[in-house]
Amino acid sequence: MKNRFLSILLIMSLLAVPVFMSGCISSNEQSVESGEQAVADPSAAGQTLVLGEMWDIENIDPASAGTVICEKAAVTETLVGANPDFSLKPVLATSWEQVDDLTWIFDLRKGVEFHDGSTMTAEDVKYSLERTMAENPRVESMLNIGSINVVDDHTLEIKTKEINPILAGILHYPDTSIISESSIDENDNFVKPVGTGPYSFESFNEQTRVLTVVRNEYWWGGDVGLEKLVLKGMPDPNTRAMAIENGELDFTVDVPYSETDRIDAIDGLSVEKYSTPRVYKIDTNLEDEALADVRVRQAISYAINREDIVEHVLYNVGTPAAGPFLPSMSWANKDLKPYEQDLEKADELLTQAGWTDTDGDGIRDKNGEPLELELLTYAARPGLPPMSEAIAAQLKEAGISVSSQVLEWGAISDKRENGDWDLVLAAFNIAMVPDPEYVLGNWYTTEGPDNTPGYSNPEVDALVEEAKTIKDLDLRYQKFNEVEAIVYEEQPKILVAYYGCAIVKKDSVKGYVFDPTAHDYSVNAGMYIEE
Amino acid sequence: MYRYVLKRMAFVLITLFAVIALTFFLMNVIPGGTSELILKHTFIGLEESATEEQLAQISDRYNLNAPLYIQFIEWIKSGFLEGDLGTSFVYHKPVLHLLMLRLPATIILALSSMTIAVIGGVSLGIYAALRENKFADHLLRFLTLFGVSMPGFWIGLILILLFSVYLKLVPVAGYGSIENLILPALALSIHSLASIMRVTRTSMLETLGEDYIKFATAKGLPVNKIISRHALKNSMLPVVTVLGFQIGAMLGGSVVIEKVFAWPGIGSLLVDSIFARDLPVVQACIIVIVFLFLVVNFMVDLIYVYLDPRIKYR
Repeated sequence: MKNRFLSILLIMSLLAVPVFMSGCISSNEQSVESGEQAVADPSAAGQTLVLGEMWDIENIDPASAGTVICEKAAVTETLVGANPDFSLKPVLATSWEQVDDLTWIFDLRKGVEFHDGSTMTAEDVKYSLERTMAENPRVESMLNIGSINVVDDHTLEIKTKEINPILAGILHYPDTSIISESSIDENDNFVKPVGTGPYSFESFNEQTRVLTVVRNEYWWGGDVGLEKLVLKGMPDPNTRAMAIENGELDFTVDVPYSETDRIDAIDGLSVEKYSTPRVYKIDTNLEDEALADVRVRQAISYAINREDIVEHVLYNVGTPAAGPFLPSMSWANKDLKPYEQDLEKADELLTQAGWTDTDGDGIRDKNGEPLELELLTYAARPGLPPMSEAIAAQLKEAGISVSSQVLEWGAISDKRENGDWDLVLAAFNIAMVPDPEYVLGNWYTTEGPDNTPGYSNPEVDALVEEAKTIKDLDLRYQKFNEVEAIVYEEQPKILVAYYGCAIVKKDSVKGYVFDPTAHDYSVNAGMYIEE
Repeated sequence: MYRYVLKRMAFVLITLFAVIALTFFLMNVIPGGTSELILKHTFIGLEESATEEQLAQISDRYNLNAPLYIQFIEWIKSGFLEGDLGTSFVYHKPVLHLLMLRLPATIILALSSMTIAVIGGVSLGIYAALRENKFADHLLRFLTLFGVSMPGFWIGLILILLFSVYLKLVPVAGYGSIENLILPALALSIHSLASIMRVTRTSMLETLGEDYIKFATAKGLPVNKIISRHALKNSMLPVVTVLGFQIGAMLGGSVVIEKVFAWPGIGSLLVDSIFARDLPVVQACIIVIVFLFLVVNFMVDLIYVYLDPRIKYR
C-alpha cells in the first residue's frame, strides 16, 4: 500500500517536471518582443535579417559597448568615419579643423534627427561625449579633453589638455557615438540607445540577449535596406556554422577557419575572407640575453614561414604581415615586404651571433647554454594556439628550441610584469584609432604603454614626438614610415600575419560592404534581402 | 531526526561560508590584476594596454583599494546580513537581477536532463541486468562507456549535426521554446545517464542474487513483479548516491553545454564573470551552485532512510 502511494507520487513528480518547464518557457515567450515572432513566421520574414554575433550581447550602452550598438546594429553614429583606406570621412560632423595646438572646431551636420524625433544639436554631442568620458576610462584618456564648448547649434569647440593631432581619428571610435539625452532616465540610468543611425532600437531581451533593431525611415543618409535586424549572440564558432547551414541565421562571422571552404561550397551560402585591422605578433623580451641581440630576432623572423601559417593554420583567413599596418591603410609604409622564410640567412645570423650547435643535439648553444625559448599565448582567439605550435616547429628547424604554452591572458600579463617570459604571441588591434601615431607611439616609444619588449631607440622617440607637431598629413606619415622602417630592421616585435575575418552569409543577402575600419565587422545601411 | 536535520542545516551554512571565503581568496590570488581585467573586459579589449590612471580609476570605482579582509567583511555584511548581493562590475546591474534572469534557464535544463538521465539510466540498467552477458547487455555497456568518456560539448555538436542540420527536426541553438530545450537537455544528460545505468546494472545484479529474490522466483512470481516489488527498491541505494554526485557534474557540464547551445544559464555567466573578474557575480553564482549541490545531497541522505529503514540518522 505504502509502496503504491509512493510510486504514484514519483510518477506525479516526474510528470510535473515537463509541466513546470513548459510553464516557465511560455512565460518567457511573453517577454520575447514582437521582433522574434516575425522571424518565427516565415511569410512575414521578408526583409528581416537574423545575424549570429560572435559574442554574447551583454550590454547595449554605446559608451562601453560601442562595437555592438554603433557598428554591428548601426543604431548610433560617430562624428567622424573612415574610408576603406582608413582616411577620415565626415559622418555626423561635416568638417573639422585644428585651429591651434589645443583647439579643434567641429562643424556638425544639419538636419540630423534622433530616433525620438528631436534634432541633433551641439548640446547633444557635448552631452554624449562628456557622458562617455565619465563612463569609460579608456575613451577619457584617449581623448584627453579639457573642455567642450558649444559655439552655436551646429558648431562645437573642443580643447584638449595636450597637443593631440589624432583627436578626429579617436572620434571614429564607436564608444564615442552620439546619443540623445532621452537614452537616459531621470535617475541617470541608461534605458536604451537613442541614436541617429540607419536602424533604431526596438527591443533587447535581457534573458535571451537578443537585440532587435528596425529601419529608421528618416535616416539622414538615405534609404535603409532591411526592415528589421535581429542580433543573437552565439559564442561557439561551430554552433554559428551549423546555425547558418541550417538556415536559422542569414549572416554570421568567424565560423571555424577550417570550415570556411566547406561552407562556401554549400548552395545558397557564401564565405568572404577579409583582412581586419589586427595583427598576430610576437613580442620579444629584450631583457633576455639571446633576444637582446638584433641578429637573433632577425633570425627568428627569417625562420618563420608566414605563407605556410596563413595557408595551413588560418586557412587563408588573414595574410602575411610585414609592418604593423595593413598595406591598404593610407599611411602604411608600402616598401616593406613580409620576411620570407630563409633558413640559410637565419643560420648565418645566428652563427654570427655566436649560436652554433656544438654538441650535435639539433639545438644551438653558446657558452654551454642551449638556445631555448618559451612562447606564451592564449586561447581567446582560435588562431593563436595552433599558430604557436607551428612557429615552434618552424623555429626548431633553425636550431631554436621553443616550447609553446597556452595560458589565460591574466597569467601572461603577470609573467610579463615579473620579467619571467621570452616570447608572447598575441593578436593586437592596429587601428583602434585610424592614425599611425596611436600604434607606433604605444608599441615602440620608450615610454609607450604597449612597449612590453622594453625597446628604446632615441631615433624612434624623436620621430614620433616630431610628428605630433606636423599638421600636413603627408609629411606626418613620412615620419611614421621612417619609424616603421627602423622597427622592421630591429624586430623588437615580430609581426606574423594580419588578422582575418570570415563573413558567412546567405546568397540572398545583397548589398553588404565590408568595412575594414570596423573593430570586428559592421552592418551597412545598403544591406537588403532579395526575395 | 529533527536534531539531525538541524545539524545538517548548520553544516550547510558552514560549508557555504567556507566556500565563499575560499572563492574570495582564490579570485584574488589567481594571476592577473582584478582592476586590470575588469577594465579590459568592460572597456578596452583583452589585449589593449591599460595606463596607471585608468587602473586607479577602476580600483576607485569598484572599491578595490581596501585591504582584502576589509573587502571580504564588507561583502559578507551586505551579502548576508542585508541581503544585498551587490552590483555587477561588468553588467552594471544588481547581481540579484542577473541571477533571476539566468537561474530559470539553468534549473529547467538541469531538471529535464536529470529526468532523462534517471528514467533512461534506471530502465536501461534494469534491462541490461536482466540480459546479463547477452548481446543487448554488451551493446549497452559499450555505449555507456562511450557516453561516460565523450566530452559534453562534443556530444552537443554531434546532436546538432544529426538532429538539426541533417534531420531538420529542432533548431540549432537558442532559448524560449520546448524544441530549443531538447538537444541541450539530451547532451547534458548523456554522461549522467550512462553513469546511472552502469550503477543500476551492477546493483541490480547484486540484488538479483539475494536469497529473497530466489525465493520469490521459486514461489512463481512473474519477473516484472519481482523487479518492481522486491528488487528495485533494494537496488536503488547506490543509484541515489550517484545521483547526488551527478547533480554536481551536471552543473559543471552545463558550462560548456550553455556555450554550445547559446543557452542563457548560470554556468556561462559564472565562467564569463571569472574571466572578467566580476567578483560580486562570481560570488553569487558560487553560492547558488553550492547551495543547490548541498540541498540535493541533503535530500539524497533523506531518501536513504526511506530506501533502507536500517539507516538511522542521529
